[in-house]
Amino acid sequence: MTNRRDFLKLSALAVAATSGMPGFLARAATQAGGTKTLVVVQLTGGNDGLNTLIPYSNGAYYAARPTIAIPKKDVLTVTPDLGMHPALRPLMKLWDEGHLAWMENVGYPNPNRSHFASMAIWHTADPSQAQGDGWIGRIAEKIGDPFCASNLGAATPQALQASEFSLPSIDSVDNFQLKLPAGMNTPFESLLNSPRSGEAAYLTRATRQMLKNTARVQENVRKYKAGATYPDTKFAAQLRDAARLIAAGVGQRVIYVSLGGFDTHAGQRAEQDGLLGTLAGGLSAFQADLERQGLARDVIVMGFSEFGRRVAENGSAGTDHGKGSVMFAFGQGVKGGVHGSSPDLEDLSEGDIKYRQDFRGVYAEALTRWLNLDARGILGGTFTGPRWIA
Amino acid sequence: MPLTPLTRPLTAEDAAHFLRRTAFGATDEQIRALVGQKAQDVARAALAFDQSIAPGNPFDPMQGATPGAAIQLGRGAWLYELAYGPHPLREKLALTWSNHFVIATDKVRNVPAVADYLNLLRRHAATRSFERFTLEVAQSPAMLRYLDNDQNRKGKPNENFSRELLELFTTGIGAYTENDVREGARALTGWTFQGGRGNKQYLEQPRFVNQTQQHDTGRKTYLGQSGALKGEDIVRIATSQPATATFVSRKLHRAFLADTPDDAAVRGSAETWTRSRGDVMAVLTELLASEAFYASRSRIIRSPVEFLVGGIRTLGQPKIDARSLLNLAGTAGRMGQVLLEPDTVKGWDGGREWINDTTLLLRMQVAAALTMGSKAPNLDTPPSLLALTGQERPAGAVLLSSLKGRQRTYLSLISPEFQLA
Repeated sequence: MTNRRDFLKLSALAVAATSGMPGFLARAATQAGGTKTLVVVQLTGGNDGLNTLIPYSNGAYYAARPTIAIPKKDVLTVTPDLGMHPALRPLMKLWDEGHLAWMENVGYPNPNRSHFASMAIWHTADPSQAQGDGWIGRIAEKIGDPFCASNLGAATPQALQASEFSLPSIDSVDNFQLKLPAGMNTPFESLLNSPRSGEAAYLTRATRQMLKNTARVQENVRKYKAGATYPDTKFAAQLRDAARLIAAGVGQRVIYVSLGGFDTHAGQRAEQDGLLGTLAGGLSAFQADLERQGLARDVIVMGFSEFGRRVAENGSAGTDHGKGSVMFAFGQGVKGGVHGSSPDLEDLSEGDIKYRQDFRGVYAEALTRWLNLDARGILGGTFTGPRWIA
Repeated sequence: MPLTPLTRPLTAEDAAHFLRRTAFGATDEQIRALVGQKAQDVARAALAFDQSIAPGNPFDPMQGATPGAAIQLGRGAWLYELAYGPHPLREKLALTWSNHFVIATDKVRNVPAVADYLNLLRRHAATRSFERFTLEVAQSPAMLRYLDNDQNRKGKPNENFSRELLELFTTGIGAYTENDVREGARALTGWTFQGGRGNKQYLEQPRFVNQTQQHDTGRKTYLGQSGALKGEDIVRIATSQPATATFVSRKLHRAFLADTPDDAAVRGSAETWTRSRGDVMAVLTELLASEAFYASRSRIIRSPVEFLVGGIRTLGQPKIDARSLLNLAGTAGRMGQVLLEPDTVKGWDGGREWINDTTLLLRMQVAAALTMGSKAPNLDTPPSLLALTGQERPAGAVLLSSLKGRQRTYLSLISPEFQLA
């Protein structure tokens, strides 16, 4: 049975045992500071930007996609040239309020059409693919608190890898607690205290950090009561957990969630329409929840995918891997509107949209103007991009 | 340079190491039986498996009332084979290949196709011809469906399979161009399957067909070779590249030697691969009897499935009821490893990626269920510390020895030593 005494005992042990930790983990979390949170949403598989923010006034779009284009009449118009996919209707309120931003033609030099190479580039913020650690991992090193960022889901993405540690992944806040059988606390403490090296030392450190993190979450999340009804999807459940962590005030500056399945080589309409519906349903409930909790001022959401898809549809009513695509962001701290020009369908690169804005410029805006961090140190260079923070 | 063979007779810790890597773990008695033997003999004997399977498997996917249920039963059936089957190394290799030639059951919902695919991995577990293996994978309805080659037709190419054949199955990134991907897709046009499509036909057997009228017969250039190339040619050319020898050898080293392989050792296996023209059996025989293998203790973090199956085998394969086994398969999924369904076509990255707060908590829960739960096996004679940790004097040995059977076993299962192989 778990009880509060076990938690306290174990977390006290974990605190006392930080001397074996890598430098940044051992420092007190005094620098965490700030009350702003960035929620990063990953659309895994290469979301088709052209069928997300649709160039509905452009005949070339319809010519290239005879079966999968979104008919003009279904598009949710946002500018004279662009409109949102109808499944994104739940986000229209944010658009109307001026709090939803679209970044057009985002990418990076020498685009890579491999899912994994490209995703690694977005995760490490390094198109040369030389870096192993992630941009959010580097945020945690800068802040000096391994719990300032976490992933919601079972596996930790590379974005959250730091040089010596991966940041927490929380599959479900409710299950994020330790249950040691009776009488095992002291032997467990002793076992962890045995000196180890190599991967065994890594596992010991990871276990200690887990003891600390679970205690921190469980002592705080009880404060939360949902302020909105979330759709019945795994994605929405993870956003609800994100809201719980934010409401609990456990010091999280970055929260990461993912929605997979965007690799629409065949039968794209059915696949992507459903996914965008899941996306918009979850995100709009999350925003409503934050507003009702009085937290909306302090939270923004930024979404990306590893690449867009080819302009022309393939023979299977789907699209193959492309290059540039759209990003989105929303929240009361976001300057709404379309940042960047409509995609040029007459000037393509191997059949793909050319990128005109570097994603690291989009990251830089969030780092400097939202999280108040030195973007240069985290991104390894100076990048300017759209001014999408209000 | 081929890998240097181990010359000393196996010690107890050598034997424990071999069985942790090739059999997920073993009992003290199974370990002791290998002590004093020659590494070459032990490797050859472990690789001399046939296609026999565990008797009394309680799961039959064909009994599934829906596609989803059938796939769940299939997962249970494989977990049973992993935990109780007569050839753990064959299953370990099938698991490794399922993480190389990845398919995912959320897209391939046809039960016979998934069963055929798994049997293909077993049949070629230590294949004599990687080319033949790749060709059969490429023509399996499961893979044709998963990577959309069933929709790859003349004039309407679908590049999905062609890209992953190079990026993930053979050469790896850096050894091909985008043009090779496009030309490969043209060569693969027409390979599709018949039958077994749709939710209602999930029990119907699909069959590979080569639709010649949908094949692009034109001239192509692929990895420097030109001609009216067909699918078979693409597979032959891709599998015979030098980059393939290194890329796939590295995967084998990740499965059997270390999460972060040693480049020189990988080169040694790649040379054997090249010399033998992709004879995986030859590569494995050398690998599993090498000094490098025996010097690589505790360098692999066990995957969720390896953790669970390792636990069951180390405890002497206690009987676990069908419902609990299905629960365990589900738990492996919550720890990041749903059998036959990696998150992406790249497969599980493994290593430290298996470890985070949530997965550590789940490992502790599983360990408690196996040792302390209401259905836990009798542990009056608990496994030896050698069987549990791979070491005769592991960290915390004094503490562990002072505990009663259940507690000692529980604590060992959640120790860093048991998480490693």
